[in-house]
Amino acid sequence: MKPTGLIFFPAFDWAISPTHPEREERLLYTRDQIFEEGIMDLPEIREYKPRMAEKKDIARVHFCVPDIEAQITEAHLVSSGSSLVLADAFMQGEIKNGFALVRPPGHHAMTVAHGNRGFCNINNEAIMIEYLRKKYGLRRIAIVDTDVHHGDGTQEIFWHDPDILFISFHQDGRTLYPGSGFADELGGPLAHGTTINIPLQPRTTDTGIHYVLDNLVLPVLEEFKPELIVNSAGQDNHYSDPLANMCFSAQGYATLNRKLAPDIAVLEGGYSVETALPYVNMGIIMAMAGMDTSNLKEPDYSPSSFKESAGNMEYLRKLVNMQLANFRQREDVIDQNRKNYKKTYKSRKNIFYDTDGIREEQSTQLKMCADCAGYRLIDSGAQHHRWGLNRAFCISIPMFACPECQAQASRAYEEMSQNQGRYNYVYLQDKVNDVFKCMTTSKKLETVL
Amino acid sequence: MLIGIDVGGTFTDGVLFDGKTIIASVKQPTDKQDLKITLLTVLDDLLQASQGGVIQRIVFSTTLVTNLLATESGDKTALLLMPGSGLPLDSYLFFPYTFFLKGSIDFRGRLLEKVDPVEVEKAVEAIKAKGINRIAVVCKFSNRNNTLEREVRRIILAIDPQMQVTIGSETAGQLNFRRRIVTTYYSAMTQSAWESFSKEIEASLAARNIQATIDILKADGGTMSLPVSRSKPCETIFSGPAASTMGAIALTMNPKNSVVLDIGGTTVDISLLIEGRPLYASKGATIKGQYTHINAFSVRSIALGGDNPIDVADGVIKLETMRRGPAACLGGDYPTVTDVFNQKYNLSIGEPKHSQQKLADLIANTGIDMETLCQTVEDKVYDRIQDTIREMFLEWENEPAYRVWEVVNGRKFELKEIIGIGAASSAFVPGLAQRMQVDFRIPEYADVANALGACVSRPTLALQVHIDTQNRIYSIDQDGISDSIPNVRSFQIKDAKELAMQNLVEIAHKRGMESYADEAEFYLEEQFNMIRGWDTAGKIFEIGVQISPGFIQEYKGVSK
Repeated sequence: MKPTGLIFFPAFDWAISPTHPEREERLLYTRDQIFEEGIMDLPEIREYKPRMAEKKDIARVHFCVPDIEAQITEAHLVSSGSSLVLADAFMQGEIKNGFALVRPPGHHAMTVAHGNRGFCNINNEAIMIEYLRKKYGLRRIAIVDTDVHHGDGTQEIFWHDPDILFISFHQDGRTLYPGSGFADELGGPLAHGTTINIPLQPRTTDTGIHYVLDNLVLPVLEEFKPELIVNSAGQDNHYSDPLANMCFSAQGYATLNRKLAPDIAVLEGGYSVETALPYVNMGIIMAMAGMDTSNLKEPDYSPSSFKESAGNMEYLRKLVNMQLANFRQREDVIDQNRKNYKKTYKSRKNIFYDTDGIREEQSTQLKMCADCAGYRLIDSGAQHHRWGLNRAFCISIPMFACPECQAQASRAYEEMSQNQGRYNYVYLQDKVNDVFKCMTTSKKLETVL
Repeated sequence: MLIGIDVGGTFTDGVLFDGKTIIASVKQPTDKQDLKITLLTVLDDLLQASQGGVIQRIVFSTTLVTNLLATESGDKTALLLMPGSGLPLDSYLFFPYTFFLKGSIDFRGRLLEKVDPVEVEKAVEAIKAKGINRIAVVCKFSNRNNTLEREVRRIILAIDPQMQVTIGSETAGQLNFRRRIVTTYYSAMTQSAWESFSKEIEASLAARNIQATIDILKADGGTMSLPVSRSKPCETIFSGPAASTMGAIALTMNPKNSVVLDIGGTTVDISLLIEGRPLYASKGATIKGQYTHINAFSVRSIALGGDNPIDVADGVIKLETMRRGPAACLGGDYPTVTDVFNQKYNLSIGEPKHSQQKLADLIANTGIDMETLCQTVEDKVYDRIQDTIREMFLEWENEPAYRVWEVVNGRKFELKEIIGIGAASSAFVPGLAQRMQVDFRIPEYADVANALGACVSRPTLALQVHIDTQNRIYSIDQDGISDSIPNVRSFQIKDAKELAMQNLVEIAHKRGMESYADEAEFYLEEQFNMIRGWDTAGKIFEIGVQISPGFIQEYKGVSK
């Protein structure tokens, strides 16, 4: 039997700020627990050393404004590189599955990155997925975001991608950061139904979450038939998390991972550093390694502490049925969207970077292509406290774009990068050819990755 | 004068050293049934050579405990475990007579569940009924709080004061419950045999009227005094390879990035020196497939040496594994690897013409010429050694890292030289170094490097201190030491380091090695702010301080 791959990277020398939840102490007790358990000594586990991701791996997902160096620290490269090590080990058949128990996290980071939002600068799961698709030719991948916060970054990155199934269950956005992830957020016009959100009422228990897992997540995965399943593994649904209000337990997490059987799990949030993380992390590792988890529990846990209410179960039943229907009708809706939107689909939004206090205004034009997911033109402006107003024009060619979309998008880049218009930076993200360009218009300086 | 004796599996080597020159060296076959006799024979030879000179220090490296473990002939020992929550209980069933008890501690040393005295009593009765009189008691996180282990020991001794009890926190206080179980169990199992051996040695020395300090070599390349060794028998395992590696350093003085090849009759032991320091096994010494908390050099053994016979069958050149005697040039009947190197590089070992003759006989009428034969054997031998060296490099380079700077700066081992020791090194090493394009050294006295290594190695001591200022406690991974700390609010990293150093000095004093305390160095400094809400609730420090392997103060090298 192949082992479970594990990268434990607590980044003991990195913090957002000394008292921030993302500080050195976050995985200290998890270290104590997993080292004392000696789980790395077991033949079921193989520990890997992290490596740094390449800049190109990041450019494959993000438009970092003004550049990648400005948006990341070395810790981010190590954290995202760790998932890549496990992705390689998995694809090369060394491990049966893998868990990147790493920080800093990434699931709030969106396509355009002007700063840190929700403790995230770059999106570790998205970087790994595009790496897997480029290097190993995978196409259909499912991400199940089990963090208590809506994985809005990951959702946004794959919003227009019909080959990526993104499922997020989280505490209702009306009660928790980032305030999104409602049931009607179902994906872009050409990728409708492959984004599924399950907003949960505060204090939902193991019972409620497992109802959603059994009746929605697992059936949808079964029908979607992904080549790979990723768990965006936040641990803040735990009853003791200080930043959220849910009632999930370590056993609940272990069982979830046993049922979901993710190929790769990547740690996201979870800030109950003493009461939850040591036990939840043990649970996830043990479940992924196929070990018996019945002897694992938090010191203060009692099975009778949490009981799901009948009202919440009724709410979940309705929600699950509605989302199942949305998923199953997705192709009809996409056909209808092609008729409705004709050539181009336009949308606008405002994004707030809570950690860095930046406001971004963004408008997107999606090419409504009959043959592929369509290329995107993103006009983004952000008032940055250090750099002032940064305006970026970003052109993204998706991984499986048709030749016509590639040609049109490349022409758009040639035109925009030659005009010193109102944009400080013009970017081309050509995922087909794996070429990433940035023109600093004031200096006529182009960098190519 | 100083004496070093390395009791190996096949041979026992000894040297008599006057601080500058090796006055005498002795080699005797080891009598596996009676190591003491072998040891005393070698000792007596060396004493005779000393011509009545005063012996100040004798250091032994022995395979006694290694043999006990290999043959499972230690004392029958029961295991009482308090694993609390975590891995399934069946993952701790390493040994027979294992009992699980209530009682649990967490990572901060907080008591989660008490011991149930009735349960302990029942277990002890069951153990006594099996005629067992040794018990190892190990609790998860006992290194952070050993009250439960001590409580269980108290209950056991109240029932039966004759019971021998060993507890985990006093034996192996590093994080890793599994390794603590294995280490504590094996310590309990070998303690009485080691104790009687050490008493016999003491008595034998007294009978010879020798007043010298008696030290025992450990797997980490350092020594401990004989009395200290009584509670730490397991630390004596794998001291043979440690003796050789320390000997290689002693003979070369200040080596850089090197590989030490200890080449004997049928094995090659490989160890790495990184910037002159021996590389340790990252998961501790492995005993019967189980990791332990015993700090040991990372040594790989290949079943290959100067005495491996060469054979040609159906036109295929083969290296055989079973020894058939010495090389032809040294009077053997079959040509061996040594003969091949002797022939190929004109090494003038023994009678070179015997090498040539036996090899020529081997290839007569096979269509294989001498050059092909030598080249093929050389390639086979060097490929295996080189592959192993490469694996060791990679393993070291790929050891997990938990800090950003460690990953950013990476690790790359650039080999500078090969140091060859052991009887067959002069045959193997020159060609290998040429092939790997590095320098090599085969120092004089390379064949007794192990005994010299034992002779001049200094005592070592490593301790890690865990300090929790919120709980106002600290605990040390040696001897189960823990205590409270004063001045909690103002406690800083410098106080933490001071506390660690103070403890090192105290322990060094207790172990009679205080003269080395001022050579202690810090190898780990971690500091974590504990934030609860938005305020600092305390700090956690992990401080590591050690007297690392090295040589006794008077050793300045061997003069010719």
